[in-house]
Amino acid sequence: MATHHVHAVLPDEPEKATLEGKNKILGFWLFLGGETVLFGSLFATFIALRDQTNGGPSSQQLFDMPLVAIATLLLLTSSLTSVFAVLAMHKKNLKQVQAWLTVTVLLGLGFLGLEIYEFMHYYHEGHKISSSAFGSAFYTLVGFHGGHVLFGILWIVTLQLAAVKKGLTVVTAPKFYVASLYWHFIDVVWVFIFTVVYLMGMIGGKVG
Amino acid sequence: MGAHTHNEEVRKPKVKKESAKNHIVAFIASLVLTALAFVAVAYEVVPSGFTVPFIVGLAFVQALFQLFFWMHMDQKGHEFARISIFAGLFFVLAAVIVFVFWVWV
Repeated sequence: MATHHVHAVLPDEPEKATLEGKNKILGFWLFLGGETVLFGSLFATFIALRDQTNGGPSSQQLFDMPLVAIATLLLLTSSLTSVFAVLAMHKKNLKQVQAWLTVTVLLGLGFLGLEIYEFMHYYHEGHKISSSAFGSAFYTLVGFHGGHVLFGILWIVTLQLAAVKKGLTVVTAPKFYVASLYWHFIDVVWVFIFTVVYLMGMIGGKVG
Repeated sequence: MGAHTHNEEVRKPKVKKESAKNHIVAFIASLVLTALAFVAVAYEVVPSGFTVPFIVGLAFVQALFQLFFWMHMDQKGHEFARISIFAGLFFVLAAVIVFVFWVWV
């Protein structure tokens, strides 16, 4: 597997056609197991500290449901478009792969833009990372997720650029596949963030 | 197990045709589960005290949909993926339970 062997005809499921590709996917699942534990520890910390506002605004006063709903919709849709990219890859259609990944990246950027706007808004309301235990736990958990979104965007864009030159091969296919797994994982984590951080934080408060 | 899979492989092509249908089903399921959770909190339709277990339950169902369809954990050869994710989840639940019940703040 040392040589960069480009098949004239791409095999079915090109991401698993080589041992290297298979190992990449296997190793990536191990990484995702570790990421699960990492986010879990941040979730546990947040749950323990979410009421310690130190006199600052509470989650009921801060959180805005429509904003969270739009962010959720953007990320959920981007997860679907990234799986469409993998389907297009199985059809050996690089143009479609690029198109779906571009949609994915744009939706991811929209999500990130909303999050930056949201954080700036909270900052002006006096909810800062240093203002309370709630603030520290909130920005660490949600910001870390946002960092993952940013990294995912950069990762996918670099793969897209590289594929312009390299095309769809048994070498590039596992990279697309693994990046798509990463993107889905980010969305799975967000499901728990909107539930545990936002919705649980809004219970008991008047929702606007 | 060996004989069974061997026979199937003789008849069918090695890779089954993967359709977009399952993925769209997962998307619609995710949308519905998300909407249910938001509605439960916004309109307080679920008896108070039960809202948190209700929406957390919905989140787990949605996560499983996405893991099994979008991340292909339903396909064969994903034993390691399952071990990895469920082992991770075990430690997450342990951490959350410990922090919820035994933190002194």
